[in-house]
Amino acid sequence: MEKRKNKFYPNYFTFPAILIFTIFFALPIIAGFVLSFTDWNMKRLYEPHFNGLKNFTYLFQDEYFLLALKNTFIFAILTTVLIVVLGLLLALVLNNAVKGKSFFRTLFYLPAVLSFIVIGIMFTSVFKMNNGVFNQFLTMLGMEGLVNDWLGNKTTAMGCIIFVQVWKWSGFAMAIFLAGLQGISKDYYEAALIDGANKWQQFKSITFPLLAPAFTVVVTMNTIGGFKVFEQVYVMTGGGPGNATQVLSTYIYKAFSKGTLGRSTAMGLVLFLMIAVISEIINRMLRKREVDL
Amino acid sequence: MNAKTKKIMSSGILTLLMAVISLVIIIPLLVMILGSFKNPTEAQLFNLHLPTEWHFENYSYVIQKGGIGLAFINSLIITVVVTVFVLISGSLCAFVVSRKNTRYTNFVYNLFLLGMICPIQIVTTFGVLKSLNLVGTFLGVMAVESALQLPWTIFTLSGFIKNVPRDLDEAAFIDGASPARMFFTIIMPLMKPILATALVTTAMYAWNEFMIPMYFFNSSSKWTMPLTVYNFFGQYASNWNYVFADLVLTALPIAILYLCCQKYVISGQTAGAVKG
Repeated sequence: MEKRKNKFYPNYFTFPAILIFTIFFALPIIAGFVLSFTDWNMKRLYEPHFNGLKNFTYLFQDEYFLLALKNTFIFAILTTVLIVVLGLLLALVLNNAVKGKSFFRTLFYLPAVLSFIVIGIMFTSVFKMNNGVFNQFLTMLGMEGLVNDWLGNKTTAMGCIIFVQVWKWSGFAMAIFLAGLQGISKDYYEAALIDGANKWQQFKSITFPLLAPAFTVVVTMNTIGGFKVFEQVYVMTGGGPGNATQVLSTYIYKAFSKGTLGRSTAMGLVLFLMIAVISEIINRMLRKREVDL
Repeated sequence: MNAKTKKIMSSGILTLLMAVISLVIIIPLLVMILGSFKNPTEAQLFNLHLPTEWHFENYSYVIQKGGIGLAFINSLIITVVVTVFVLISGSLCAFVVSRKNTRYTNFVYNLFLLGMICPIQIVTTFGVLKSLNLVGTFLGVMAVESALQLPWTIFTLSGFIKNVPRDLDEAAFIDGASPARMFFTIIMPLMKPILATALVTTAMYAWNEFMIPMYFFNSSSKWTMPLTVYNFFGQYASNWNYVFADLVLTALPIAILYLCCQKYVISGQTAGAVKG
């Protein structure tokens, strides 16, 4: 019976999706495993020569690659923490009866749908030395001393890019947390109220644990997104000043433009392995918390 | 102070807090929108003053000089083709994966699961396109963007199809309908709400995508909106009135789509996430 029923659902229905996905996504990843160990370059596109671990030993001695690696980690971790905190805060507030609730939700989510090119260029103006909105704001508060060329300064450029990422994705995290909050039954809170639990106790023993699935999603998505960061860096600083905001994806692009394809692929493989391992770790940790409930 | 006034006070404070945070979102957008109607000198002041004179011609200038017309059409073509392909192939695949439990469907499921996590290996993708002679073609860019958008679509759609009762499939089959007929006339109409979500999400992705066209289009005649805007910004970096007008034109279609289909955007993009 089961077999006969399976005929309702022919495998060939999956073929168009599988075909495109395999050729244009999976195959390049598999090829990346092989070509990372070759001297593949633009000039000899079809004759890569095996060169063992040379790309990797080169990369791990390249101070700029190591800097890009470090920057990527800092970016992914800081943005994830900030987005989770801010997203949760917004969701907790907007889950209550606040005036203009739906207006705020619509507005906070808006940055998530805009392209990074638009946002990146817009924030280039915000962080400009002359008349930039951010410097105007500092002057208004009487903090002229802090006025700075935010994107042109090695110590602050990364902060600006982190800010833009948080600006863009906090509303999205908020929406996921809100969906999670709305799934929590009111009965728990009523029971807690009868037991005389205060707001903080309610948050700690009801809201926080029951939001675990939403946490898993927000943390995983933002960490992965953080490791993949490309557009806003490319648009706002191009990896500079110096290499202060160089991240893996922009460094991969740099190697690609130079035509050193083997090396660029090796970096792509490093990025791939890092994301795979880290998202697996995060998932194990957070899913465990979900099960323990 | 009694409990009621305390409650009103705290809700007032929270509303105020939300209002302050909204300013962080609104001010940059407003500076951009107002600036797009100003003259170059005023636009460079990046403030919230209304323009002394409204320069609507900034927009016509940008459309002419920035090649926006062509870029708009290119973006539209790519967005439509990617969206249609992803929706049809994705829902067919999601249907079979969520209805059947065989070794093959499990393999398919895991393959796309990997696609949710993995970043694109951009250089070897270039190699694949090169050997298929697809570098610099619409087809190449559309194929890669579709491949990138399929995993999310398949997960979201199969999450939905699991809740569509199987009785309908069986009834259709007993009536002698072919699998394709059953899918397109019975299942697909039931998927309308989730297809709306997938449609809006995929369209937004394809419209906004920058990296893929940047790597794979070499001639500016094929450039999409984000690429054109980036290039325009490079040339006109000191004319913020034009840059802002260009940005507004790029963001507008997506902003409108978002405001009109908000229900599908937010609920859909987050529902699958929380259940998952």
